[in-house]
Amino acid sequence: MTLLSDRTALSGRRDPASPRPGPRLRARRWAGLLFVLPALVPYTVFVLRPLVVSAQYSLYDWNGIGAARFVGVDNYRRVLTSSEQLTPILHAFELILFFTVIPVCLGLVTAALLHGLPNGPLATTARVVLFIPQVIPLVAAALAWSWVYSSDGVLNQFLRTIGLGSWSRAWLGDFTWAFTAVGLVGSWVSLGLCTLLLITGINKIDPTLYDAARIDGAGPVQEFMAVTLPGLRREIGVCVTVTVIAALASFDIVYVTTQGGPGTQTLVPGLQIFQLAFTQREVGLASATAIVLMVLVLLVVTPLQRISRGAE
Amino acid sequence: MSRFNSHEGRQTSGPSRRWVLSAAAGMALTAACSAPGNSSVGAGAKSAAGKAVSTTAPKGSVTLNLYVETGFPLPVKLAEEFQKQYPNVKVKIRQDQFAVITQNAPRVMASSDAPDLIRIPTIVASAKDGLLADLDGYARAYGWDKYSTGLIDQMRVSDKGVRGSGPLYALGIGYNITGIFYNKTLAAKIGMTNPPSTVAELESLLAKAKKAGIQPIVQFNDIGGVNFPFQALLNQYEDPSKIANWVFDRPGADLDTPATVKAADKIASWGAKGYFTSDANALTYTDMMSRFEKGGGLFMFNGDWESQNLAKSMGKNVGFFLAPPASAGGRLVAMSAPATYAIPAKSKNIATVAFFLNWVHTNSKARKIIVDVTGSSPGGPTDLALPAVADGSVVAQTLQATNDLAQKGVAVDFTANATAGIYANTIKPELQKLITGRETGAGFAKKLQADYEKELSQ
Amino acid sequence: MNHRVPQLIAGRVMLVLFMAATAIPFLSLFTTALAPQNTTPHGISWPSHPHWHNFVDAFHAADLMPLLGSSLLIVLGVVPVALALAAAAGYGLAVLGFPGARIVFGLLLVGLTVPTESLITPLYYQLESMGLLNTRWALVLPLMGLFMPFSVVWMRTFYLSLPKELTEAASVDGAGPWTVFRRVHLPLARPALSSLAILLFLWTWNQFLLAIALIDDPAKRTVAGALGAFQGHYGTNVVLLSAGSLLIMLPAVLVFVIFQRHFVTALLQGAVKG
Repeated sequence: MTLLSDRTALSGRRDPASPRPGPRLRARRWAGLLFVLPALVPYTVFVLRPLVVSAQYSLYDWNGIGAARFVGVDNYRRVLTSSEQLTPILHAFELILFFTVIPVCLGLVTAALLHGLPNGPLATTARVVLFIPQVIPLVAAALAWSWVYSSDGVLNQFLRTIGLGSWSRAWLGDFTWAFTAVGLVGSWVSLGLCTLLLITGINKIDPTLYDAARIDGAGPVQEFMAVTLPGLRREIGVCVTVTVIAALASFDIVYVTTQGGPGTQTLVPGLQIFQLAFTQREVGLASATAIVLMVLVLLVVTPLQRISRGAE
Repeated sequence: MSRFNSHEGRQTSGPSRRWVLSAAAGMALTAACSAPGNSSVGAGAKSAAGKAVSTTAPKGSVTLNLYVETGFPLPVKLAEEFQKQYPNVKVKIRQDQFAVITQNAPRVMASSDAPDLIRIPTIVASAKDGLLADLDGYARAYGWDKYSTGLIDQMRVSDKGVRGSGPLYALGIGYNITGIFYNKTLAAKIGMTNPPSTVAELESLLAKAKKAGIQPIVQFNDIGGVNFPFQALLNQYEDPSKIANWVFDRPGADLDTPATVKAADKIASWGAKGYFTSDANALTYTDMMSRFEKGGGLFMFNGDWESQNLAKSMGKNVGFFLAPPASAGGRLVAMSAPATYAIPAKSKNIATVAFFLNWVHTNSKARKIIVDVTGSSPGGPTDLALPAVADGSVVAQTLQATNDLAQKGVAVDFTANATAGIYANTIKPELQKLITGRETGAGFAKKLQADYEKELSQ
Repeated sequence: MNHRVPQLIAGRVMLVLFMAATAIPFLSLFTTALAPQNTTPHGISWPSHPHWHNFVDAFHAADLMPLLGSSLLIVLGVVPVALALAAAAGYGLAVLGFPGARIVFGLLLVGLTVPTESLITPLYYQLESMGLLNTRWALVLPLMGLFMPFSVVWMRTFYLSLPKELTEAASVDGAGPWTVFRRVHLPLARPALSSLAILLFLWTWNQFLLAIALIDDPAKRTVAGALGAFQGHYGTNVVLLSAGSLLIMLPAVLVFVIFQRHFVTALLQGAVKG
């Protein structure tokens, strides 16, 4: 008896009490696929197929026009061993400091201080102003910043006003500072999104947790560590994921501000793929770099997703 | 994608999953079966050399598509005039930034809607890939082969991919030379009455300017514009034929030489002495132009394609001279290259474009437009008179310089044109390092040659 | 709660500082755009006689009208179709389900993180062989594919948030999946779809890499993609370049300010779900 009921529970469909699946139900089983297929067509043709082709190109030496020569994993060897190919990848990781760490930290501090955006004109203005970098094309932002950083730009004007004229320079052409300058454009873009996301998130934290912390005699710092930070885990996860992808796959900002210069100070994998594929016509090496970039993004983002999802 | 493939490997249970996967992966995988490479555009474009070609004016309605650079109105103006003289021809013009054209050129020419005429800085790779129409037949029929050979031969490419000999693949529209523009007011302040006659004299002028608080050189270097002064020096120190061989990718060409080291060291010392602006590595070409026009510096190394612009903005306050030789009375050597325009092999109107190119070189109105718009020499038959320009103007000076060079000097192509990647990959970053003391002359020369060989070996 | 007051003030000060930092590049562009043409203004300084006409000149100099038209065409080509495909696919995955749905969903999740740079080279040659290079299709079709992972996941999440009884009640009435989708789910999905529409509009409008790599003719690109070719139009004129850049940002900013609330919600949700 127990055995039987167990079997019934395991394979409910065979339960003689329930109707056998008629042709209509079977059709319904597949109806879902019919709804999904149209979306899969562009995705397969313009994302999955190029990915497969990219993997294939990466095994060839090809100038994009003439005949291709199979070279096995040579291109990958070049990407992973030559300093010319590794430097941009290193830069991409360094950009995380600017695209992710700085905006998330500043956003967290602001969120903790404000403890939720109060209603009123400040909130409305903040919402509009802080979001504008997310709305305009990155290219336009980069163009505006190039002007800020130029020798006649605002930054140098400001330095001269406060008597630091000797510090003024053409920031984007300076070997020491160009990378920081480009990185800060990324911080500028991410800051508004992170701040607003974290401020919104902090509102959702159960207020009794804060009361409890206060009764326990927690100061603002302990309160932040014990309540705010864990409560915002999901929002932080989102900020970090989005901005880390933006950092690793950056292209627009670098393309417009420095083209990777001075020297190769600001060269990133995205720009390098573009140059390799279209200027130097080394399609194989470009594709190998592209695949490595994609794998890196997956390797970094997947654990991040786990961490932030694990909180739920 | 490895993930995707491993899924496919494992999921073989039941028709359902296989179905889903074939829907998702079917198209993806068909692509992966054959090696990349488009065999339809392969070796050898159709050669016009052997066949008789038509040199008659175009009949019936024809539409020509031109792909040219933005900020450079010459082809537009020529097209307007051509359409006036031949109303049955309609010229459509697509413009893009020079760097973008350079990037796009091979792809655009290989595509099914290839333009009929394209501005293309480096022709070797494209010629080798069979993307360019062979113009020898037209050259003989129109007599282009009798133009100044120094300039025309630059546009020949042998079947081994070496420039300087072989079929003709392009023509110039305006034949540029480069040299040094100077601000006459600032020059007077440091007592410069005549252009320098040696490199040493040039250097003493730079030093005087620096001492007088005048910016000696305004030169863009955000994308490697210091290559103008660098090659101006290299041309004086090195045997010009060696440089030409290098630019033409002749086997065994080597520029890791004492002359290169010397020229690069000089550039480095100019950087250290503050002869370039402190923001040179961020200075764009357009910023350089506007700064020079507003009196922001004594010298600017640039080409005569700007002489009309400068004449307009600075009037008589601007002068031009060719880079001086290393020792007094030495031979003049200058970077000089036509603004090369090629006809893609896939063009459907080759005869009409060839007629247009011939018209550009020989029609008096067209020649006048070239001089009026750019200030560059229109080239063409050597016995054809040059359009008249105002005496003492900078345009007169650049045209005169072109003449001097043709008669008693040597024209060398830009080192930046040697290979597709050398400029962006090596020259640009290396020069940016050189002027800020992060690279030595010897290191520069070594890297230049190593990267050059690496690119050619691929 | 008095100890909260200095804290709140500090928070507000930081917020105001962030806003100032956000605004500075635009202010600098703006004052530059109002300076007399062919001058090189320094930093931020309000010109004594603002030249408002510069904006008109910049508009003509860069031929902005056809560019805006081109961007609009591309948006109209991408967004409605992408919305329809995603609405249906999300429903298929969340409500109907089918054998292998998990695999399809997994495939889409992978697509969420693929950088565009990783696709650009093969996409180029693929579109070339399809004869679509240099047409607006070269942007419309790949964008549709690139948007699918996010859009489908977004719609799926929305349908999952609806009570299950909805579908069951309708099914009992004997309605097929298509009818239930059209009558029940689609009307309810309107807010989710409009947020998605806003996001897709932005991402299309601002697309740069695909535009410069796949379309040679700047006039056929998106506005953002045309910015590169833009500089040439103004020659050495920094003032006109600044005015032109502001004009190029204007449509997106206007749409944003008008739909401000929707935008912020959509972007915040979009970030969370993406």
